[in-house]
This record gives sequence, structure tokens and C-alpha cells, in this order.
Amino acid sequence: MSGERRLRIIGRLADGTGGGVGGTRLCDVCRDITRLTGAGVMLMSGDLPLGSLCTTDAVSAVIEDLQYTLGEGPCVDAHHLGRPVLEPDLADPAVLRWPAFSGMAVGSGVRAIFGFPMVVGGVRLGAVNFYADRPGRLTDDQHADALVMADVAAEAVLAMQVDGSEEVLADELERGSNFQYVVHQAAGMVSVQLDMSVGQALLRLRAYAFARQRPLAEVAVDVVARILRFADEDG
Amino acid sequence: MLARTLVALADNLVADFDVVELLTLLTDRCVDVLDVTAAGLMLASPDGDLRVVASSSETARVLELFEVQANEGPCVDCFRSGEAIVNVDLEQVDGRWPLFGAKALEAGFHSVHAMPMRLRKQTIGALNLYRVHQGRMTDTDVVAAQALADVATIAILQHRTVRDAQLLNEQLSQALNTRIVIEQAKGVVAERADLDMEAAFARLRRHARNNNLRLADVAQSISTKTLLVTSLDP
Repeated sequence: MSGERRLRIIGRLADGTGGGVGGTRLCDVCRDITRLTGAGVMLMSGDLPLGSLCTTDAVSAVIEDLQYTLGEGPCVDAHHLGRPVLEPDLADPAVLRWPAFSGMAVGSGVRAIFGFPMVVGGVRLGAVNFYADRPGRLTDDQHADALVMADVAAEAVLAMQVDGSEEVLADELERGSNFQYVVHQAAGMVSVQLDMSVGQALLRLRAYAFARQRPLAEVAVDVVARILRFADEDG
Repeated sequence: MLARTLVALADNLVADFDVVELLTLLTDRCVDVLDVTAAGLMLASPDGDLRVVASSSETARVLELFEVQANEGPCVDCFRSGEAIVNVDLEQVDGRWPLFGAKALEAGFHSVHAMPMRLRKQTIGALNLYRVHQGRMTDTDVVAAQALADVATIAILQHRTVRDAQLLNEQLSQALNTRIVIEQAKGVVAERADLDMEAAFARLRRHARNNNLRLADVAQSISTKTLLVTSLDP
């Protein structure tokens, strides 16, 4: 069914919380939707780790810490390669994928680990990691859910970087703003107008739309139509 | 001409071919080889919804986006049924696609066709063909259009990295993301060189072609500002 996975994820993000879609909820949904042991969201910028947005449990927290400290692991690879990195059996001696990370992660109780990158066009935000306490491949269904989940997480991360955006996040996820190409054309234009990266321009557009309570896509259309310029705009 | 196009498509199937690149070439060649004005192509995301991945012109692209949003039109029907839809006269489709029909006429198109991108039971997307004039597409053209769609489909499904459903999904997901990078790069070029989106896209593609680079790579360099708009071929 069209968009069914996405709707299920957004539905889960929306329930159970009175107070918006925070980071913790995001990680819980990552775990629940894939029915794995735990999950975490790692934020990265270029080669630099920016920190952990959330983890579901102590083991996930260790997974992220190890990757920050050692500079290797599934999320680091997924972030750099821009595609999922799947390790169904971390303890398999035939595969020495991450010399330092693997042994320590197994020692903490991780047997299978999967990193899914969070990307929005040319903007790389980090990766979601999913782990299981027993070895095994992801089913096709879990894999498809994880891909869609990483997309939703990327949108959520972008939106969270704008103040007060939790309220609009749910609405925006529903609209799937990231799939509206005009938003990206506008981000490209604004990045030139304000001499910043496309990622920063996306944030700026969101902040502008949020402050004026207008849908992001509508603001983007104005930018592309050259009705709105950000050059001397404070928004 | 058709043979040359098939060779060109096959030529693109090097070890690490890019899906968006291949499909953009496909839509372009449809316009060259077939008696059609514009072409657009949609692929299903891992979530099963259609996304516009390539188009021969900005007009076709906007129309395709509209089709996805309105959730009606030839590509949508073709993808759902897995069957080709040919020679639909847009003046007579009121009941079938009320929103899409009006929009397509407004854009100057009078007939549409859609070919499934299908291998056995798996449909991964659909190719839309638009004509400004009425009248039927010749049988030869219909066969050729389906052949072009088939080559692209097989290429995607048989790609060496696509061994199973998971890898296919990853590749489709990457293709959709490449499309976003291209939109971002179009914005950068449009603003810097004071062009509309259509001209900005043409500029990116010309540069990629002239320098034997992948469109996806040129777009990535432009969007991250590692390649300056002023360095693009005019």
C-alpha cells in the first residue's frame, strides 16, 4: 500500500505523548517499528560526530559512544557511504569488519547491528542504528521499515533544529515536505542568497515558515517564483 | 535510431551506473526516438508510493508531480495494473482523471501513454509519454516505447548490487535522494546565474555531458559548493 509504512510510523510518533515528538519518542518508534532490541540516532556533520539525539537503552548508548570514540562502526560507515550498512552477525569470526568496535560491542551484548543513513538530498545528517541481542538478518519487511524510518528521522532531525518546531513537526511529517521538490529548489536558491550551506538554508526556510505559520512548501513556491528573497531578510 | 538508443542505454550500464542518470537518458531518448513531445518517469519508493525520478522537460516534471499529488493519471493507473495505457485522448478523459486531464491539457498536451516498468510480477514504476498533437501513436512506437522501458527495468533489477528486495529498495531510495540533490543544485544554479529551473537543469546536464560526468555527481558538487556555478559550461 502506498505510503502505508510512513503513515504507521507517523501514527506511532504521534501516540503516547502529550508533549510533541521529542527525540526519545523517535528512538522508541525506531525500535518498535522494526521489532529489534534497541535503536539510537547519531548526528554527524562531515567527519565530526555532533552527538546522540537519543538512545532506547544502555546498550544503544554504548554503541553510540563506541562509534564516537573509535571513529568506526555501522553508523559511521552508513553516514559516509550514504547507504545502509548491515551486519547480521557481529561475532562471526570470519568477518572482521570493525577491528576495535566489533569486539567491544559484542561484549556489551550486541549481536546484530544495522546502520541506516539520514540524508536529505546532499545534506547528510548522521545515521540511525538498530541492534539486536541475537544474530540474524533483517527481514525484507524490517528492512523496508528501517529505510522509511531513517527518512522520517532525517526530516524530524532537520525540523528539531528549528526552535519550537516540535509543534509543526507532526504536521510537516504528514505533508512529507521533504518530498516536495520545490522545497529543495528553494533551499538551493536561499543557500546562494545567504551564502550558507543547503542544509542551513533548509533550516532557515523552515524557521521562516514556522514564524509566520505558513506551510513550508508555500514559502518555497514564493522563493522559486522570486516573490520572496532571503538576502536582507531576518526571518 | 532505436538501435542506437538501446546501445546508448546499454553503454550506460557500467559497473556503478546511476539509476537517475540512466532514467534521465531514457526520457530524453524517448523524445528523440518516438513521436512524443515529452516523457517522465516514476519509480515506487520502498514505501510503495510513486516518486518522480526523471523527466525530459520541466513541464513534464511539474505535470508528473501533480499526478502523484492528485493520485490519479496514466502513470498511477499503469503502475497499479502493471498494464500499458496507450493513446488516451485527453479531451475525452473527464471521468477517468478529472484533475490530471485538465492540468495536462492546460500544459498543452493532447494525448498520453504510460508503459509499465515491469519484469514478470514485479512493477517498479512507469514511463509516461506526452504528445502535443492528437492522433494515435504508431504500433511501432508503442512497441519501441515498451522496449525502452524494459531495458531500463531489467538494468535496474539485474544490477550487480541488486540481488534481493532489500538491495533494490536501497537503490530506489538512493535514486529518490539523488533526485533531491538535483533539485537543490538547480536552485543554486537558478539563483547564481539568474535562470529559471528549466534552464538551470539544462545547464547542469550540459556540463555533465560535455565533461563526461554523472549528473548526480555534478549536482552533488554544486549543492555542496565544491563546484562553482561560474565554472559550469555556459
